[in-house]
Amino acid sequence: MDSDMEYSDDDDLDDAMDYYGNEDDIDNVDPKKTDPEFFLYDCLSVDEVEKLLNELVEKLSNTLKITPSLAKVLLNEHKWNLNDIVERYRDNASNLLVSSHIKGGHGKKVTHGTLLCPVCIQSQASDKFQSLSCGHSFCTFCWSTHFEIQVSQGISTQIRCMAPACDVLVPEDLVLSLISKPQIRDKYQQFAFQDYVKSHPELRFCPGTNCQVIIRSQDLSPKKAVCKVCQTSFCFRCGNNYHAPTDCVIIKKWLTKCADDSETANYISANTKDCPKCCICIEKNGGCNHMQCFNCKHDFCWMCLGDWKQHGSEYYECSRYKENPNIANESVHAQAREALKKYLHYYERWENHSKSLQLEEQTLERLKNRINEKVMKGLNSTWIDWQYLFTAASLLAKCRYTLQYTYPYAYFASMDASSARKDLFEYQQAQLEAEIENLSWKIERAETTDRGEIENQMDICEKRRITLLKDFFPTTTNALESI
Amino acid sequence: MAALPRRIIKETQRLMQEPVPGISAVPDESNARYFHVIVTGPEDSPFEGGLFKLELFLPEDYPMSAPKVRFITKIYHPNIDRLGRICLDILKDKWSPALQIRTVLLSIQALLSAPNPDDPLANDVAELWKVNEAEAIRNAKEWTQRYAMEDN
Repeated sequence: MDSDMEYSDDDDLDDAMDYYGNEDDIDNVDPKKTDPEFFLYDCLSVDEVEKLLNELVEKLSNTLKITPSLAKVLLNEHKWNLNDIVERYRDNASNLLVSSHIKGGHGKKVTHGTLLCPVCIQSQASDKFQSLSCGHSFCTFCWSTHFEIQVSQGISTQIRCMAPACDVLVPEDLVLSLISKPQIRDKYQQFAFQDYVKSHPELRFCPGTNCQVIIRSQDLSPKKAVCKVCQTSFCFRCGNNYHAPTDCVIIKKWLTKCADDSETANYISANTKDCPKCCICIEKNGGCNHMQCFNCKHDFCWMCLGDWKQHGSEYYECSRYKENPNIANESVHAQAREALKKYLHYYERWENHSKSLQLEEQTLERLKNRINEKVMKGLNSTWIDWQYLFTAASLLAKCRYTLQYTYPYAYFASMDASSARKDLFEYQQAQLEAEIENLSWKIERAETTDRGEIENQMDICEKRRITLLKDFFPTTTNALESI
Repeated sequence: MAALPRRIIKETQRLMQEPVPGISAVPDESNARYFHVIVTGPEDSPFEGGLFKLELFLPEDYPMSAPKVRFITKIYHPNIDRLGRICLDILKDKWSPALQIRTVLLSIQALLSAPNPDDPLANDVAELWKVNEAEAIRNAKEWTQRYAMEDN
């Protein structure tokens, strides 16, 4: 094992710290710099978030001397960025109010005599009429019917004035003062709250079923959040499963593609393979992709069916897709076949690691049982002695999860071939994959493998994973817009 | 059946007394919310000379919700599909309770004069309208001739 190599990945910062003799002072290491997955967040209840939003509303309403309802419209239209709103208001209040759909521009209010409501065509005293800043007057009965119909269609903060082509938004106070049915009022408030949370970039509903928790973080990057109530883990940025090093846009593309193409893929990649040497049919029953044929003891890779020896730690290449160099000159059919082959290459690996994750859970169960047996028989080991194995298994799962999510990235990165970054990514991916399979192999044979060896391998795996994430953690700008 | 809202009665009266040029809308004898509509193809459009039958229905919560309108006569148009359904913003998210049957029908007539292939409902028609407008217009004229002329 070339363990010297493994430890040389630390970046310059760490080296500098070593130089100044801080190497053992763990408290001094800033996790923001050393751990690419470091994420500070809170799990808030609905009440806490309401309080937080109301504080902003009050602040803005006091600063600009406007009603809280209008402040709410402004905040919701501007991602709850109070400072930005105040600045723009000071700069050009009228512009801001028009672009935020608060002011209609040409509003004249009639406040005397009788008026004809253009919706119900009834004449009534003008005190039965209401209008927004745009001046379009309608009778209160029509307003309230309008609100009820809109709310029943799930619309709340986006309810607009009833006049044709007028896009002035109706503020909350008018809606609530005119809706009489309590269940519609409740619905309006529920929907509006959802809109507020969605428009606030620091907030996200936990995607767990029936979970009421709202995650809050000032770090807007696609980091992993785990709900403290229902334990659902997800990407804070897009709400999907956590997906580093792939970014939010790519993972969405990838999952859509997989959903469209999965039938073909399922058909092509069956669940069993034949041993490349003795041709006996093998069903994979563990997570490790380093296979040893039960029959002929041949060591091979489950993914590429190549000899495992050639996978040695020097240059592991199974994860890399080798493009046909002459493809540009081939026929359209051949190109389509090549495109499918390429997609399947990545899809099979994605699927395979997902399956391996499940199989490794089963392996762990079996291990637990065997350990219990041993401890019961009192064979020179205690239960405590074996606890490290569970740590190892959970670390393996974590590493394999990241490895699984390197494949969508690799597939889309492979579109622009021959970039230096792509080469670096593939190299690191291959290294990570090799170390993970090594760890998996050792864990499956834990009873005969030395504990020190497993712990060493765990350390190598995690280092590989962190190195890859440090270099390729999705940036916020990539993921931000198109969602 | 509930009494007809004053709004619908007023609109119907006005449609009868001052009809819009080129458009006729007559309520069904047994259902005052269902209108038989005929729109004449606008001048200088491939639909000129055609008489297009449509049906228009005022749903329960009209005018808070938009009327439902559909072409019955077959028409070759990028924003109208084979079932006669119309892609028009004021019939969907841009509906306003202050709009009326007459304004809706006028907008549909205007849509015949100005097809919008960038917001298509009938994809194949829109595609042809973009890549070969001359041929699309020829098709539209032919369909008008075949399906929307009295003597056929």
